[in-house]
Amino acid sequence: MKNTLKIIAISFTLLLGASTYINAHHAFTAEFDPNAPINITGKVIKVEWINPHAWVHVEVKEAGKTTVWMVEGGTPNTLIRNGINKKTITPGTVIVVRGYQSKGKLCLPRCIANGRDVTFPDGSKVFMGSSGTGAPRDGSDPRERR
Amino acid sequence: MILFSRLTGKIGLLAILLFTNLPVVLAEDDHSEIHDLMAHLLDPAAEAIWDSAGFVITEEGEFSLEPKNQEEWDKVLYGAKVISESAFLLSRPQISKNREEWIAVSGLLKVVGDKAFEAAEQQDVEELFRVGAELYQVCVACHQTYMTD
Repeated sequence: MKNTLKIIAISFTLLLGASTYINAHHAFTAEFDPNAPINITGKVIKVEWINPHAWVHVEVKEAGKTTVWMVEGGTPNTLIRNGINKKTITPGTVIVVRGYQSKGKLCLPRCIANGRDVTFPDGSKVFMGSSGTGAPRDGSDPRERR
Repeated sequence: MILFSRLTGKIGLLAILLFTNLPVVLAEDDHSEIHDLMAHLLDPAAEAIWDSAGFVITEEGEFSLEPKNQEEWDKVLYGAKVISESAFLLSRPQISKNREEWIAVSGLLKVVGDKAFEAAEQQDVEELFRVGAELYQVCVACHQTYMTD
């Protein structure tokens, strides 16, 4: 009976295109290291608005070296609901991303991170991930605090 | 007509796969076939849909990922049909083990796959993008319950 109700709930939500999404991804622990937090400060050079994850490419210049980080966000729909859209995160914008490095941590073949929140030049900070992914409960997801 | 023949052929091949037990004989506790189905059938099909709608924004401008010709649209149509027909494949007793919720969530793949197919037929990129998000929800709904690292 419990399963039946769950099925009906999932089906109803999906079939009617309701705005309640299942904001989760099973792959955090498969792809990223919860013990490798990172702060990335740099200029946005590319944003990919694609399913199932948006990607923000950030150019970091440090000690004369330039590194490009690919930061995985939530689904485009999730980001839009959180207030991040094509106009708020544009190439040239300097942002600070708080997230977790990929398990390799060696930037081979490229530097990849899972983004938790992003801070914009005006100081506003927005959650850029998805809820319930298995990422550490680090306070970045407003839903965790409820 | 050429498109119809090409798709019919591909769908025919898929039908052979679906109605043949050989590739999906599972040992009771062996889920490797599930992994193979996901990795070699569903994942590429889903990628065909996800990669066909969206935008890439750089300092040079905004670029749409929408298919540029009929051949690229055919790949999306094929991916959508694979997603749709996978519902049947995943619902078979060998795979589903008659689990009610598994079968129900698998059935949603047909709903979403059919929507994607229709969007691709109409070459409606906005709808394809929306359906792509819906497809991901179906994937996650199943993975949350059944997938282990």
